[in-house]
Amino acid sequence: MTHDDGLPNDPEGIRLMIHALVDGELDAAAALAVERRIAADPRLAAEHARIVALQGAVSRLPRPDVSDAFRARIASIGMAGTERQAPVEAEPQRGTPSTLPGLIAGPGGGQRREAGTRPSQARPSPRTRRFGSFDWRAMAASIMISAVLASGATQWVMQSGVDDGFAAAVASGHRRSLLAASPIDIVSSDRHTVKPWLDARIGVSPPAPDLAQDGYALIGGRVEVISGRPVPALVYRHREHLITLVAEPQQGGKTTQPDDLSSGGFSMVHWSDGAFSYWAISDMERPELDDFVARFRKAAV
Amino acid sequence: MSERALAERFNEVVLPHLGDALALARWLTGNAADAEDVVQDACIKAHAGISGYAGGNARAWLLTIVRNTSYTWMARNRPRAMMAVGDLGDLDDMAAAHGTSMPDEDGPEASLIAKADTAALEAAIAALPQLFRETLVLRDINGMSYREISAMLAVPIGTVMSRLARARGLLASELGRAS
Repeated sequence: MTHDDGLPNDPEGIRLMIHALVDGELDAAAALAVERRIAADPRLAAEHARIVALQGAVSRLPRPDVSDAFRARIASIGMAGTERQAPVEAEPQRGTPSTLPGLIAGPGGGQRREAGTRPSQARPSPRTRRFGSFDWRAMAASIMISAVLASGATQWVMQSGVDDGFAAAVASGHRRSLLAASPIDIVSSDRHTVKPWLDARIGVSPPAPDLAQDGYALIGGRVEVISGRPVPALVYRHREHLITLVAEPQQGGKTTQPDDLSSGGFSMVHWSDGAFSYWAISDMERPELDDFVARFRKAAV
Repeated sequence: MSERALAERFNEVVLPHLGDALALARWLTGNAADAEDVVQDACIKAHAGISGYAGGNARAWLLTIVRNTSYTWMARNRPRAMMAVGDLGDLDDMAAAHGTSMPDEDGPEASLIAKADTAALEAAIAALPQLFRETLVLRDINGMSYREISAMLAVPIGTVMSRLARARGLLASELGRAS
């Protein structure tokens, strides 16, 4: 069975992707594709369940306590420097010849510690989910899949009538995210998470209504850099389609009605509400994207 | 930078991550008592090298020193335990030859894994080959990302992924066998 979702088709490759999914290393588009594979194959589902169970069990293992005595002993190393210099060796990360490659020579034997092992502060769970996933293409390439990047993206940008560099940049940003190279930087369906995140990063937060009840779920946001400026982008999901909504802040802007910039298999709509200039792009059909735009505009007022 | 500033930086960079440092050293050396010795050695090195810390991910910086110190310490104090490491490339070849995750088609039920007791799980982790163990610990105990681990171990991300999958596969089948 072959798939055209860009994931590896060999069993080992897909298993690695399931591990990456469990580890929170995939962006939304890739995660969606892997989840679809899991849903379709009981063996993959069992593997997924195993990995989740194992990771849970490992993360629940008791962790060594940092005793107060130990902490004090380490802190005293820092203090010591102000009076007597600790034996300075090579910079820690630069290896000196040793029995094994990449190792550094140790200092004189460590002093024995006193055995104070009072339990101290509880540790935060190590299983906090990371939002920043890495370049998925690097991962895919490194596990050797023959990913054929759709050459259509460049072609479309070059050939279409979109002479506006901004629209082209929005389009390629969306296209990149579909190829999962540009991750969703914050994955959240909660606009109260997405808005402050964008605000904290670039000082701008566009309206981010959750339209899940209308069938358009807010799944996250990211920062696009377009024409050298960071602009917020929201990502919505409609069935199996992703919609990227770039919101460029406007200075005393005018209000414009939705304008169709669709081309080359992508639908793109542009409009302004005075505060932001919006660009919505998706591989959905144009009427569906119009429906999204209408609902967004209604909710964002 | 003044010595006082360096001392403050040491406190900011090192002290918050002692728990992670101990956890890593505990799994690399095999026991908690050795871990304190190793982390103390590592902190002395970190202190000596603090002026070379360029900012950025303090935890990854410290854990890199802890990892290297662990192996130096093991080579000196537990030379027999280190013999198992052998040529680092061999294990990856082995992993590739055996497939990267499950040794056979079907692993144990997830519910079996979930209820494995602490002692069995700890023993299974301790029994992992060093390369697989360190990758698993960095990911599932220290919570580092693939990219951080790849940078720390100076291996491609694909290698991190296959080691991690292999480590988890070995653990799962071990736990399935034990129960």
